[in-house]
Amino acid sequence: MTRTEPPRPDGRDTLRPDGRRKKVLVAMSGGVDSSVAAALLVEQGYDVVGMTMQVWDYSSCDVEEGNGTCCSSTDVDDARAVADKLDIPFYVANCEAKFQAFVIDPFVGAYLEGKTPLPCVNCNTYLKFDHLVRKMRELDCDYLATGHYAKIEDGPNGRPAIVTSTDDWKDQTYFLFTISPAIVPRLMFPVGHLKKDEVRRIAAEKGLLVARKKDSIGICFVGGKGYANFIEEQVAPDLFRGGEVRLHPSGEVLARHEGVHLFTYGQRKGLGIATGEPLYVVRIEAETATVWVGEEKHLYSAAARVVQAKLLDDVADGDRVKVKIRYAHKGSWARVRKAAGDELRLEFEEPVRAVTPGQAAVFYRPTRDAGGAAEMQLLGGGWIV
Amino acid sequence: MPRLQSWLAAWGNPSSIHRSGRKPKLLIREARGALAGMLGCDPLEIVFTSGGSESNNLAVKGVFERFQRPSAPPREFRDRYLFSAVEHPSLSRVAEHLADRGADVRFIPVRRDGSLDREAYRALLTERTALVSVMFANNETGNLFPIRELAAEARAKGALFHTDAVQALGKTPVDLGDLGVDLASFSGHKFYALKGAGALYVRRGVQLESLIHGGGQERHRRGGTENTLAICAFGAMAGRAGEVAERAEAVRALRDGFEARVLTEIDGARVTGGGSPRLANTSSLVLPGVDGETLLMNLDLRGFAVSTGAACSSGSPEPSSVLLAMGLSRSEAQSSLRVGLGWGTTEDEMDRFFTALREVVARVRGFAPGPTAFDAGMPGPMTPEAAAFGAENTEIEHDAH
Repeated sequence: MTRTEPPRPDGRDTLRPDGRRKKVLVAMSGGVDSSVAAALLVEQGYDVVGMTMQVWDYSSCDVEEGNGTCCSSTDVDDARAVADKLDIPFYVANCEAKFQAFVIDPFVGAYLEGKTPLPCVNCNTYLKFDHLVRKMRELDCDYLATGHYAKIEDGPNGRPAIVTSTDDWKDQTYFLFTISPAIVPRLMFPVGHLKKDEVRRIAAEKGLLVARKKDSIGICFVGGKGYANFIEEQVAPDLFRGGEVRLHPSGEVLARHEGVHLFTYGQRKGLGIATGEPLYVVRIEAETATVWVGEEKHLYSAAARVVQAKLLDDVADGDRVKVKIRYAHKGSWARVRKAAGDELRLEFEEPVRAVTPGQAAVFYRPTRDAGGAAEMQLLGGGWIV
Repeated sequence: MPRLQSWLAAWGNPSSIHRSGRKPKLLIREARGALAGMLGCDPLEIVFTSGGSESNNLAVKGVFERFQRPSAPPREFRDRYLFSAVEHPSLSRVAEHLADRGADVRFIPVRRDGSLDREAYRALLTERTALVSVMFANNETGNLFPIRELAAEARAKGALFHTDAVQALGKTPVDLGDLGVDLASFSGHKFYALKGAGALYVRRGVQLESLIHGGGQERHRRGGTENTLAICAFGAMAGRAGEVAERAEAVRALRDGFEARVLTEIDGARVTGGGSPRLANTSSLVLPGVDGETLLMNLDLRGFAVSTGAACSSGSPEPSSVLLAMGLSRSEAQSSLRVGLGWGTTEDEMDRFFTALREVVARVRGFAPGPTAFDAGMPGPMTPEAAAFGAENTEIEHDAH
């Protein structure tokens, strides 16, 4: 029987120099993307080992499904069933303590500081692309694969670079900017060259029961109860401090609120104010527990300051890059200005709406051979302050 | 195989009076006789259960509920229950349950060498003690406890004595006639029989409340139609009791040879509980600097089945409570590996296993390149915070112990 080789998007050989098959550790969440990633690698001839990170007791939350963000909420049983179907070894890595320390605690802390956090990036930084990189090496695997919508292609300097996925609606490179350039040559994103509906079709063809699972939406550990309830469950009540809602720029007190964690930049609903003019949250001052509201025009900024910037490729002072300031943002052109240490200033060509502390500013450059100019190389990013 | 055929053919309900029920009833009687012969007790002292967990639950809850009965014969007030600190979860969880129900539950500490703290035991054992439960052999380290002496001390105080002998059956001779215990738990699948049948020895005269009330099976001590097939398999293995002592000696030689190599050829390796009497087949190792979970995944990928703690607790992030109770630090417990040898284990297998273990430990410790792995120089944890995370934890836990 002749086997049709599926496309090998990374162009890598499946054999080690000594002729043995290369081993790939696949991070399997039990969702359709990572399941198909594992299935494709098996088909391509790699020795595949599946692993699920047990990070959170999901029995405590009802995760809403929809159209979404980073990854599916972990479902160990589903991942195991897929691994059994593919006949590959499968292990569960216990990461609950790390997840609490690096994802949950900073998430809750950020809200109390008046920020809007981005926990998926921390999960990638400290768990998927750290803990699992370690597991990859410990298990003598050559690569780590995940079900992210992203691609790895040869960059302009000849080194492998992360570029946006073929399905630009699903693209998840925004969550990957903290990946160390040193490990990019060891990563695989096997579904990054596919559209979501193709991924579902492959899952169905291969008889993977997850084919019809819905995409995860929002934050995997929060679920249907909403983030405010989640935070209130996680911290002692005396950490919540009520304060004033003031009008920008006059300073007029319009209302009182019960904690800055209930607000996010650009928010219009739930402010407890009845005025003719639509008002939006334009700034949150955690120190004084003041929520500033203003007209829509006050939401726009010409620049943003980012800290703890990580760069995956060379970015020079003054370079023109496309910047996404939140996952759903389509991107705005800006100049990069390097500041002290790992701080950067981004100067936008057009003012951008609701630059939100706690979110990431992630920058891109169009790849040289992008036909439709939609494909972009991930250059790096940093945290908005 | 022909025997299996005859077991499968006996499909009737053993409680039925008609002919098709008589055959399975006979098979169960034969199995009960074989097991009683192996254990040195009367067949009527054997209650078949679904396995070790049920036997342990029946023993402890059965005694507890009996004492709760208003119609119980008047006896002195007893509400204390003693357990060793290293019992299987099917006892330690039952202990928590009894505490919730108002019982005075106490744990007898163990020492780092695996032995029970006899002085603590004597201090805890009072005239108010209803039941003592100490395992025959620990499931993780193989350490053996002096059951005969412990049971005698309990009897002197008028307390009942139970031993969880699940781990011992088939690995060392168990003679109930000599032990002097009131209750003892066994499981068939620990002795090459099928999963789904276990037994509780209930010394004649000991009264138990049943956990499962029903059709009066097992002399009203365990309701429910018998798992005839698994009971037959259990009985068949019991027929091979005579082989146990000899096989244990062969396994001991293999285990000791393996441990000697581990101790000389793997830096820093230690055997947990090695200084105290142990089952011949169990080896509990601490391999510092290596995560036991990673070790077992690597060994599984090479075809070797080992475990870290109890097999039942896999998937739980907590290190083995048994090893912690023995006084090992969390990092030691997390660097532990439990190796079990079977009747069929060969010298060649142990050689290959040792070679694989040494290689995996070396690679995981240093991320040294395997024969074909590339760029060994790749950075370790990607983030300094994550690198510090484990180290910090270890420090704190060292202080705690």
